[in-house]
Amino acid sequence: MINQFHLQDRLSPESFYKAKVGKRLPIPFFESKVAAGFPSPAENHIEKVCDLNELCITDKEATYFVRVGGDSMSGDRIEPGDVLIVDCTREHVEGKVVVVWLNGDHAVKRMQRLKEMVVLHSSNPKYAPIFVHPGDDFRLFGVVTHVIQKLA
Amino acid sequence: MIAIMDCNNFYVSCERSFNPGLENRPVIVLSNNDGCVIARSNEAKDIGVKMGTPYHEINELIDSAQIQVFSSNYVLYGDMSSRVMAILARFVETIEVYSIDEAFLDLSREPDPEAFCRNLRETISQWTRIPVSFGIAPTKTLAKVANKLAKKDPSTGGVLALRHADQIRDALMAFPIGDLWGIGYRFESMLKRNEIKTAWELSQTDEDWINERMTVNGLRLVYELRGIPVKLLELEPAKKKNICVAPSFGVGVPDLARLRMALATYLARASEKLRKQESAATSITVFVHTNRFKKNAKHYYNSRTVILPHPSSSNTELLKYASAALDEIFQFGYEYQKLGIFLNDLVPDDHRQINLFTELPDEKLAALSKAVDGINRQFGRDKVRLAAQGYDRTWPMKQKWLSRCYTTRWKDILVTKG
Repeated sequence: MINQFHLQDRLSPESFYKAKVGKRLPIPFFESKVAAGFPSPAENHIEKVCDLNELCITDKEATYFVRVGGDSMSGDRIEPGDVLIVDCTREHVEGKVVVVWLNGDHAVKRMQRLKEMVVLHSSNPKYAPIFVHPGDDFRLFGVVTHVIQKLA
Repeated sequence: MIAIMDCNNFYVSCERSFNPGLENRPVIVLSNNDGCVIARSNEAKDIGVKMGTPYHEINELIDSAQIQVFSSNYVLYGDMSSRVMAILARFVETIEVYSIDEAFLDLSREPDPEAFCRNLRETISQWTRIPVSFGIAPTKTLAKVANKLAKKDPSTGGVLALRHADQIRDALMAFPIGDLWGIGYRFESMLKRNEIKTAWELSQTDEDWINERMTVNGLRLVYELRGIPVKLLELEPAKKKNICVAPSFGVGVPDLARLRMALATYLARASEKLRKQESAATSITVFVHTNRFKKNAKHYYNSRTVILPHPSSSNTELLKYASAALDEIFQFGYEYQKLGIFLNDLVPDDHRQINLFTELPDEKLAALSKAVDGINRQFGRDKVRLAAQGYDRTWPMKQKWLSRCYTTRWKDILVTKG
């Protein structure tokens, strides 16, 4: 009886696969000794580690880093040397801080549309607003979503 | 429906993406070592810059037409390519990345493929500032045709669909045979000799006649032109059958010692690729040559192929045979411009040939090379290297007009003014 059962239960040779041990995948291991006490109350609250990218970047295909070259936006606490995170997916930009291309340079400004015209505002009172005229080489690069500033 | 997306003048578009001042101006990108033209803006095409022209032949044109010149910046192009491909993959379930700037898309479930592609085009343009074109048709080959027509005719807005039989017929009737995907120069002249000048005429040609002269590949092409899909989307990238590393030297190299270092360096690069796709090479070819375009100099070319006793993926082992080959072909008294290696007849790296008289590959050496790859991936290229690679960098690439790596190096990111 046992023998018969064995025969029927035999694995066919096709069912054997060579184990591939070259690649290792990290699999988290959580041990809790249930038998010896009560389970760790933290066990059901395991989350992944906080990632700065996740906080600052929604669409990584459309996100670029841009360094601030001047002090024209210091009223918005955007200082020379800061790194801007620029998102190019945003379309509605009224009043937002944006990176634009204007007549040969990239610039960071606050953008306002006045009917047909675009006005670029600096937040440092030293600088006058820039009125973009038809015929100017102007394009929107993207919207500034975060500023990375080194404090210490 | 299948669509092919193709980035317009991709390398030039990458440069323009971060420097809109290049818009509407003639721009060219040069090959490794600033040798010849490998990408042109439409403006550069219009003033007659041909693909593959050596840089030194168009010096005067560059000055007189104020052509903007760039060395190839593959770091930048690679990142922009992966952004474009990632955008496609986000909106389309099934895509085949065909090359750095082309991808086939399966749009069979899309009710309006044309509108869908127009939207995609807008999105890619806004997110990456790279202009792209789409060709849409029932087969890959016809999609390629549609794409070419979309590029040629600005009124299409960069998207053209060939859906109905009469549309396809009209397009093929005006489509020169030589522009077809997969028709090389040889087949082009053979077909023209036989009075087959347009894609339409080819599609109407007798199958046996095609099969006899152009084998099954020609037959596939004919079926595809008739709207019967035979070339399917390849979703698993095929493993390479051979690997070649052969960048030119920026300067002429006369001595064997430095050629040996170059050999070790190139081989390290090639065998890393080999291990990455889990293959082993059965034979290795080494070649050297002098600069053919240099006048008043002696020219020399030679190559040697070594068949290995067993397929190998070990850097040290491959180098042993490659060095022997190099020693054999090296001739004193020449200024070498290029050294190259091919790893041929690749097999899976667990492939073992039972042979009575040859030893088996040394498993330890293969494992060592893999460990070195791991270290270098983490700490930077060539951090751990064979001593034979040396530290002499007298064969650096000429990259006189290299732009910044805007997306991959912190010190190279865009800077605003004011």
